[in-house]
Amino acid sequence: MTKLVRVIDMERCMGCRSCIAACHMENHYTPGSPWNEMVEYENGSYPDVRTIFGTMACMHCEDPPCQKICDEIDVHAISKNEYGVVTVDYDKCTGCGYCAPVCPYGVPQINKEPPQALYPEQQTPYEAIPSAQRHPLHQKKNNVMEKCTFCWHKLEKAITAGEPELIGKKPEYTPSCDLVCPVNARLFGDIDQPDSEVSAYIGKKKAAQLKKQAGTNPQVYYVVRGGDF
Amino acid sequence: MPYNRREFIKTSAALIVAAKLATPLKVMAAVADKAKHTKIIQSTIRYVKSTCAHCVNFCGINIKMENDVIRAVYPDPERAAFYNVGICPKGVSGVFNTYNPYRIKKPLKRTNPKKGLDQDPGWVEISWEEAFETISSKLKAIREDDPRKLIWQHGHGKYLIGDKFPKAFAKAFGTPNLVHRTTTCEAARHVADELTWGYHGFLPDIEHCNFLLNFGGNYFEAEQFARWLDHAATDAKERGMKIVVIEPRLSSTASKADEWIPIRPGKDVVLILGMARLLIKNNTIDEDFLLGTTNATALVADDESLLKDKDGQILVWDELSESAKPFAEGVKPALRGRYLVDGKTYITAFQHFTDSIEDITPVYVAEVAGVPEKKVRWLAEELGKQAKIGATVVIDGHKLRYRPVAIHTFRGLSAKEFGVQNWRAGLILQMLIGNIDAVGGINLHSVYKKPQYFEPSKAEYPPHRVDLQESVFFPHASHNVAQQVALTVLDPQRYGLEYTPEMQIFYATNRPFSTSDTQKQFASLKKTYNVVIELVMSETAQMADIVLPDLTYLESWHSSPTRYTPRTNHTAIRQPVSNAYKIEHDAYSVLWQLAKRLGILDEYVKNINKQWKLKKHPLKTGRDYSAEEAVEQIWLEQSKDKDFAYAKEHAFIGKHLSAEKTYLSGVEKKFKGPGKPKMNFYAEQLVHTLENVKQQKKQHRLKMIDLERYRLALSPLPKKEHGFPTPHREAKDFPFYLITYKRMYRNQSGNTALNPILNALGPDVQENFVLINQKSADQLDIQTGVQVIVETRVGKVQGKAKVIEGIRPDTLAISYHYGQQSLDFPDYAKKGIWVNSVLENYSDVVSGMDSFNDSKCKLIKV
Repeated sequence: MTKLVRVIDMERCMGCRSCIAACHMENHYTPGSPWNEMVEYENGSYPDVRTIFGTMACMHCEDPPCQKICDEIDVHAISKNEYGVVTVDYDKCTGCGYCAPVCPYGVPQINKEPPQALYPEQQTPYEAIPSAQRHPLHQKKNNVMEKCTFCWHKLEKAITAGEPELIGKKPEYTPSCDLVCPVNARLFGDIDQPDSEVSAYIGKKKAAQLKKQAGTNPQVYYVVRGGDF
Repeated sequence: MPYNRREFIKTSAALIVAAKLATPLKVMAAVADKAKHTKIIQSTIRYVKSTCAHCVNFCGINIKMENDVIRAVYPDPERAAFYNVGICPKGVSGVFNTYNPYRIKKPLKRTNPKKGLDQDPGWVEISWEEAFETISSKLKAIREDDPRKLIWQHGHGKYLIGDKFPKAFAKAFGTPNLVHRTTTCEAARHVADELTWGYHGFLPDIEHCNFLLNFGGNYFEAEQFARWLDHAATDAKERGMKIVVIEPRLSSTASKADEWIPIRPGKDVVLILGMARLLIKNNTIDEDFLLGTTNATALVADDESLLKDKDGQILVWDELSESAKPFAEGVKPALRGRYLVDGKTYITAFQHFTDSIEDITPVYVAEVAGVPEKKVRWLAEELGKQAKIGATVVIDGHKLRYRPVAIHTFRGLSAKEFGVQNWRAGLILQMLIGNIDAVGGINLHSVYKKPQYFEPSKAEYPPHRVDLQESVFFPHASHNVAQQVALTVLDPQRYGLEYTPEMQIFYATNRPFSTSDTQKQFASLKKTYNVVIELVMSETAQMADIVLPDLTYLESWHSSPTRYTPRTNHTAIRQPVSNAYKIEHDAYSVLWQLAKRLGILDEYVKNINKQWKLKKHPLKTGRDYSAEEAVEQIWLEQSKDKDFAYAKEHAFIGKHLSAEKTYLSGVEKKFKGPGKPKMNFYAEQLVHTLENVKQQKKQHRLKMIDLERYRLALSPLPKKEHGFPTPHREAKDFPFYLITYKRMYRNQSGNTALNPILNALGPDVQENFVLINQKSADQLDIQTGVQVIVETRVGKVQGKAKVIEGIRPDTLAISYHYGQQSLDFPDYAKKGIWVNSVLENYSDVVSGMDSFNDSKCKLIKV
């Protein structure tokens, strides 16, 4: 069995936002529709106060309510694949936005604005990479839902190469947000492998899912201390 | 039917099990299906290793190229064992440091003779030939007249091509005026190191440290060793190291610490001396270290000089013979006490220090520094306890001093009027507990490499350099005085400069934007002919006569600087992956061209070989060298003949240092024991420097030299008075302390303000704010988002308030890197507050350090 999960250790996270930048860069950021966001807030009052840092992206739930509602209205744009990754088919998505309010984590981004260049003044060579050269999940369209894909375009390469066991280990097969963290606050791997790093980490540091009461069974675990998140 | 992942998995179980050997058929089918319906043009992917140059961490990076396009920048996993594990958001988005429509792409010439931040320069494009011809003609005339009239200034340029090429050029040209930015960074800390142990640079031995006291060093948001300290400190904290961060604002570093102590700005030295007093009173001091490795036993006369014999050797009181002698074999020096020698009373340096801090009680510290009395006592006790004085540990067969405590700072202690004395206090506190070069303590870099730092300064007058380095004005400023250049240019006669500067070349520095009291900085640029080599039209570039484009760190070759750790170092290169706008030259080839046209190329090449210490692989005269060819020669020399192909493949070569190298080649080797020089607990050279300053003042009738100011700054020991910089004493009607800090997403030059990814990291990154404590805000009826004016004795700025809990009620904080003024920048890149424009500048007269964090201010709700 394979169940890909992410662990975000908020005790270690220092709030640098490299992971946000990495997601933007990796996934041809649509201005106004971030796939990864930093949540930063103070906990306590002077002088007994700390700033809490944590990032949120798609939880790739085992029971994704976004997929449920999309199927119920017979659009079927959202699917969850073999490895637990929830993705959106931009060709099928109608941009109705029903997925957004049902997500307990506020993940779906409906990009209502027409696609813009990152510099309003001029398109760069990076943006000029033809759509046809990009992975389907990077062939952005206006008025569709987009969100974190666990960098499926990278994980897929591991599977095609017959190296799924290297997901989360080899940089080319690791989601970019997890790859760039300067303080090793993020891990990615297969929780169903008992000797995997993620399994060990979740057990040792008692990482937990957020908003378990929502019942969606997210595949992102957090090490949380000293405050609600 | 609702999708059921468990059923899907059951049916695919066999396929999944087989996934280890072959791709599940269903997934392969899905992938193939997708490919069929959505045609994907294949591209060529390759990876190139290099070194980031966004800041001075020089992280190892792995650049992903998609055909010829820079697709992404990742950390180089091979570098993790030697320095950085990840990279910061600037590095991640470095693509847009290169792909930036605001890049300067051609040489430009000003047509509007009026210069100012509000003046359109009227740029016209010129050819490289015209640019080189114009610049070299002017340089020729200056060189024939007086080459000193040329000033070369760089900041980040030092890290793009290195300062050795500009130094080689300046020497060949004949100007002493090459100025780097260190006094806008941490020069005071360096000079304090130099006065104390003969060179500069230190790191906490994090791997073995159990208790880290961090005075305002912010390795989670900035700082020059941040990309090592961030993960090393995080790992050490998980291991059990306790971190206490002492600073007025709750930085990210303080947020992740075990304790944040919000100290009043500028009063750190009072806390440190108060802790030293308690350690001495409790006798929690490492006497062996003080006796054997420092000059704490030196005998101090009434005039503060040290007693020496006729050969100039420092004398100690020998308890065995009860006489004053040099510290040699068989001598047992006294640490404490007063002694009569030839009818005069002398006091040991340690006793002198002890007596001088007697009134710095915990009550006094609480009153002045705003740290509760109980906390002061706890800090001292904990430091003393955790230091494990007397303990040893065996590593790799060596029995080593084990003192697992360290005191760290970066700009927190040094960016101050009394920055040198602040860090001298930190060093003295650590001498008391003997953690210097001990396992778990602080590890010093190249101890006693320059013994000349132990000599008094000649306090030169008239100054021969425009920045007044090592002159009577800044007698121990060994790292240039960046912000002084502008003041001297405005009025050379005031400082006794015998020539009037005519031309300035700025390379990758936004100097006037980045100092304090900036109006004067910009005014000075109207006085000289300016050439600026830059990526974008920074504020400095806007004041140029000629602007030359530059290549970014992803477009150019360089022998990269690197950062070491206590147990590793490495040699690295940077290599280009692009030339986005087909720019023909960078600063390396500009210097080469200028040297050629001035007829000084051979001299330049010889100086390059000297600067880079190219003995086995020198550059030869009589031929040109591309940047790549020059880097190859430097690599061969530095790597001891490792093939250049290796450099291109790996970008670096790393080394693990032995325990002997780390712990036994510093103070143990250079200072410990009889007959050797000693670490300066007491910085006697400052006493004689003051004498030289007095003499110069008298001889040359230097009215602007305030001797009381110099007497205080040049004290051989830190004092409580060093906690009261000029604005704190004078600006009585300004109730708030104003401090500054850095943010992770920006630098000073402005190219980060244009980066669309850095501007998309959250709603709070496009501008900065006036941080104010909740209680203070309530009293003034200020809420987050309202417009406020911050007024200092220099001027006023306006911006949005942000009300937080994480700052002292008597303090406001505004970050750097915002409030860009360039006419060329779009509005989105010009948001926020230019705090530098209102900071008071009372430079540390010892080191020349620009004082960024001593201002006082008023806050007015708009």
